[in-house]
Formats: sequence, structure tokens, C-alpha cells
Amino acid sequence: MFSGNRNALRNSAAWRIAAWPAVAFAVGVALALATMYLFIARDIRARSDAWLSGEAGTLADVSAKTPRDSLYGRLVEEVAELATHEVSDASLSGQQQNSVFFLQMQPNEEPIWVGPDPKQRFIQAIQLAQLAPGIPGDVHVDGWKLPFRVVYHAHDTAAGIYLGFADLSGAKMLDRLTERCLLVWGITVALGFLITWLAAYRTLSRVERISDTVSRIDSDDLSRRLPEGRYPDEISRLSNTFNKMLDRIQSSVHQLRVLTDSVAHDLKSPVTSIRGTLEVALAEADRAQLQEQVAKAIEGLDRLSEMLNTTLDLAEADAGALPLQKEPIELAGLIQPLVDLYQPAMDEQGLRVTTQLQPIVVDADRSLLNRMVANLLDNEVAHLPPGCEVNIVIQTRGQEASIIVTDNGPGFPPDLLDRAFERFVKGEHSTGHGLGLAFVQAVVTAHGGNVALSNQAGGGAVISLSMPTVLVPVEKSREGPQKPAISLH
Amino acid sequence: MRLLVVEDDLAIRDFLKRGLTESGYQVDTAPDGKSALSLAADAAYDGFIIDLGLPDMDGLDLIARCRAQGHTAPVLILSARRTVDERVRGLEQGGDDYLTKPFALAEVVARLRNLLRRGTAPQQEAVRLHVADLELDLVRREARRGGQLLQLTAQEFSLLEYLIRNEGRVVTRTMILDQVWHMHIDPATNVVEVQIYRLRKKVDEDGKHPLIHTIRGVGYVLRES
Repeated sequence: MFSGNRNALRNSAAWRIAAWPAVAFAVGVALALATMYLFIARDIRARSDAWLSGEAGTLADVSAKTPRDSLYGRLVEEVAELATHEVSDASLSGQQQNSVFFLQMQPNEEPIWVGPDPKQRFIQAIQLAQLAPGIPGDVHVDGWKLPFRVVYHAHDTAAGIYLGFADLSGAKMLDRLTERCLLVWGITVALGFLITWLAAYRTLSRVERISDTVSRIDSDDLSRRLPEGRYPDEISRLSNTFNKMLDRIQSSVHQLRVLTDSVAHDLKSPVTSIRGTLEVALAEADRAQLQEQVAKAIEGLDRLSEMLNTTLDLAEADAGALPLQKEPIELAGLIQPLVDLYQPAMDEQGLRVTTQLQPIVVDADRSLLNRMVANLLDNEVAHLPPGCEVNIVIQTRGQEASIIVTDNGPGFPPDLLDRAFERFVKGEHSTGHGLGLAFVQAVVTAHGGNVALSNQAGGGAVISLSMPTVLVPVEKSREGPQKPAISLH
Repeated sequence: MRLLVVEDDLAIRDFLKRGLTESGYQVDTAPDGKSALSLAADAAYDGFIIDLGLPDMDGLDLIARCRAQGHTAPVLILSARRTVDERVRGLEQGGDDYLTKPFALAEVVARLRNLLRRGTAPQQEAVRLHVADLELDLVRREARRGGQLLQLTAQEFSLLEYLIRNEGRVVTRTMILDQVWHMHIDPATNVVEVQIYRLRKKVDEDGKHPLIHTIRGVGYVLRES
């Protein structure tokens, strides 16, 4: 896991993902440790201040009660010395004397001094510090790293008592504390960063695997799939999404190949027949015969170009690029003229057509809807034997408008039922190009609807389409802009 | 009437020139935008037929530059691109009509005639149309042949009216669906043929001189002989 060169590490998002939590972690831990440090330092100072005040009080008492004779100085010195020994610590005994001083100012006499030399420096520093009586304060003395805590007692006007204490053991303790805090901080931050980085690295290595696998997928081998992890987490979902996308791509590519093959096949036959027809025409001496041949060729070309247009429409629909010029359309008003147009042709074939139409408004592309209904009717005309009946019903089901076309013919061949919407799929005896129902489905889908095929129990086919209705009153839609629809041809 | 056809495909250019010349137009052709502009600079044209996919410039640019030269004659756009978008753009940018490939020559002629008529004064709206002994009363929507009332459905009457209005000119299946039914569909079955067949049965009854003729591979024409 840690192999991989430096460049790979630098290009890994795991570093960046781990860096921010690590910074936040470092700041948080530092704050916590600093707070702890401050509390401890304050406690230590409070302790030394308490000792200082108590001791200074005692010394003040002693000094007050002791008569001021020639022994006074010696006595106070002794007591002060004793007091300074109270704070002595085995490990510090050497310097301890140096860390405590006692000073009593005496009017007209030398001050009594117990403490490190030179006392002049201390006396100067104390005088500069201007301490308030009874409240310990910091006094910085030249040559001493630590400030002295000094308390000042004045029980009579001339003789002030100063007791000073540099808490070397406390300072030492705090130093050790600082060291340990830094160590703990360093270890925690490093560990935190490492754990975050590891977690990110592990997670991202799954992403890396996905990108690896995907990069190895090419158009020749689309069957490769990504492993989907044990837990349904985000990355598993990513794999899942990729797999679904690959499924779709694979099926599109497959469809495209089938389509190309079919187009090639379906183009070759008519092109061959047109070419043949024209070749025959070329050799034709009789003018009427020649015209007949040429006309046949033109009809063949017309069929070919219609197929080409529908194929292009279907390709556009598949790409989601079927241009829709939507407007509110009253379905009955759209279907009835088409039924009227087809009626004579159906009549000639011995077919009857009935309609049950009611005013329903859909938001749709008029031109596409016209062609879609024409395709449905073409389908009926082309496949029904004489004597059959076609029934067209439009109705609303909730928010959906349905167009249901039923007939009492032979129905769809069972093997076609599932595939009837695929392009170039057509019945055995069909003379069409097999694009009609594929086009119907493409139009309905582009309008956000559904289409389904079935055979009735008693025989006959049912094609049922649904698309969302528009909640526009019918009257209003009729007043709407009556722009002429724009043709695609 | 003098036309300029701008089309890079030699075969299409040739058949347009022939077909339009036969229809009585004087036709100049240009294979690209540059030569079209130099032709247009020297002559006044009554109409333009311009292909959108020219080798040296976009057809829409060519239209704009012709307009800038002061040409106001109608432009019929030809294009292999068939999206509604293209069409709208073409019509917005100076085109007057739009035809997608492949097209029938009859349709080019019909559309061109419409465009060229647009410039002239509107015709007196007729209330009656005649061809031979066929007479249409557009107000009562009645048709008579040899004085005898024909029992036509509303659709059949509209179809007959369209054929008479285009007397002597071939109309295609697409034009019929477009102009009579106002639908842009391309039926895979013979719906138009059957409509014509039924109309013909009523108009050209047995023994009568036939007026509705089929031009195989192209469409239909109504004429006296």
C-alpha cells in the first residue's frame, strides 16, 4: 500500500483529504493542551503566592514582636532563613537559597537582607516595581531568568518587609510539562494525520481501481464490469452507476451494430431493385414501357427517402435530440382528420374504423403527433385482413391521456410482441421497413409518455399510448396561436 | 422570369436547370457562393434557389450578401439538413421558403411559382372555377360535371379544388397532403392514391372525358387532355 513512487503520492487526493483534518486536529489538540498548561501554571503560582503571603505575614509578626535591639537583625535573619528552607527541595537544595530572599527596610539603618547577592540589584528592582501591600507581584531582577514573586508587608511606617520567591521547582515542572505536551501533541497529530490519510487512501484506492478498470474498457470489449464493494456506500454506488452506464453503452453499441447492419441490408435491396429497374429502362425501346420503369424507380426512391428520414428521426430521438415544437393540442381534433384521410383507403380494403374521441389537451409537437398517428393507421391498413374493424379510443386516466387502438384482426405474432418497437423488426409478410412502431415509441417517449402492445384474449391487437395531459380548458387551447406546423420534409 | 440556381452538386444543378427551363424559366447556375455573387452583381433576378451547404460559404451568408446587394427577389432554400431549427433559421435569415432534399422537381416548380406570385398583385378571389365542363362553386361548395351535381365529400371537394387551382400542373402526394389536409406526413400506405381514385370515380365517370391524370412516379395533374 505504501509502495508507489513519490510522484504517485503527490498526485493522490488522499494527501489533500488528510491535510485539512490534520491541521484542524493539530489546532484543536494544541488549544486543549495550552488550556491545560495555563490552568496548571495558574495553580502553581497560586500555591507559591499562598505560601509567600503566609510566610510574609509570619515574618511581619516576628519582626513586630521582636524588640529592636542589636539582636533584632540576627533574629529576623534566622527566622527568614528558616522560612526559606521550607520550600527547599532535595533536588534543588543547592540553588534553593538563591531563589528566596527576605528584605526588611529600616529607617536610618542598613536594610536586613537574606538572599542572593548582590542585594543592591534586588533593592533597586523592588523599588522600581512599586508593589501594593499584601498582593504578590512580579519583580524582574537583572541576571535572573525567572521573575520573583514578591509580597510586601508594612506594619509600621518605616519598616517594610519584602519576601521574594522565584519558584524554580514550579518552573522546572512547567518546563517538563511543556516538553511532554509538545510530545503528546506531535504524536497525536501524526497519528491523526496517518489515520485520516490511510482511510482516505483506502477509500480512494477503490476509486483508483474504478478508473483503472474503466480505462481498460474499450469499444471492442464492453463486457468488463466493475466490482461492487461489500457495502452499499457511495463508492459502491459509483461502481454501480458506472456498470449501469456500461450496460447502456453496450446495448447502444449493440443496437447501433444491428441498426447499421439492417440499414445496410434495407438500403441494399431497394437500391439494387431501383438500379435494376433503371437498367431495364435504359434498354427499353417502347416509350410507355420506359416511362413505367422510370416511374417505378422513382417510387422506389421515394420509399427509400422516407425510410431514411424516419431512420434519422429515430436516431435523433435516441440521442434525445428530436426537436419538439410543443403547443397545446386537442387530441380529438388532431386524430379525426387523420382518420378521415385514412377512411377511404381502409374502406377499399374492407376495413371499418370507429372512434370514441373526447376533448383532451396534450402539450405536444403537432407534426410529430400527426406522423405518429399516421404510422399507427398505416400499421392497421397494412396488416389487417378484409372485414376487420379498428377502434380508436382516447380517454383520460388521471393526469394521462391515452390513445388506445384496438382491432379484431389476427393480433401480433407472439414472437414479435416483445420486439415490435425495435427498429427493422417487422412481421413475416410485412412490406414496410419495420420502423413504424419504433417511430411511434420514439415520439411517445419524447413526449414523456408510454406505449404498450398486447393481444386481446379474443384475438386482435391492442396498442395503447399514454402521455401527460395539460390542464388547459379546451376552449382556450382552440383560441391559441394557430401557427402552421413546420414540416420536417 | 430569370432565376439563379446556386448548388454545388453538379447533378442536382443540372436537373434543376433542365426542369426549370422546361417550365419556362430562364435559368443561370452557380456552383459556389463566389460565382453566385458575381452573377448576382451583374443581373437582376426574379428568384433565387440557394443550397445551404455550399463549399465556400454558408448559404445563409450568401442570402444575406445578396440582400445587401439590393436583391429583393424571393429565395427558395434547399437543404439536406432537416431539423425544424435549421428551417426556422433559414426562413428568419432571408429565405422565403425551404425545401429539404430529396425533393421532387414538381415541388420545386410549385413552390417557386407560389413565391414568384407573392410579389404580384393579389388575384381577384374567384368564387367559381372551371375546367372543361367541370365547374366548382366555391361558395356553395358544389361541383358539377356537365351540369350534373357531383356527390362529393368535404375532403373530396377540397382535393378537387386544389387540383383545379393547379390546372395543368403536376402536384405530388406530399403537396396534396400539405395543402389539402395540412399535414406533413408521409404515409406508408396508399391513402392519397385511394382518395384520388375515389374522386376520379366521381369526376371522370364512365364514358366521360378524363380530367384527372396520374403521372407515375410524380403525382397527379388535372387537365383537359
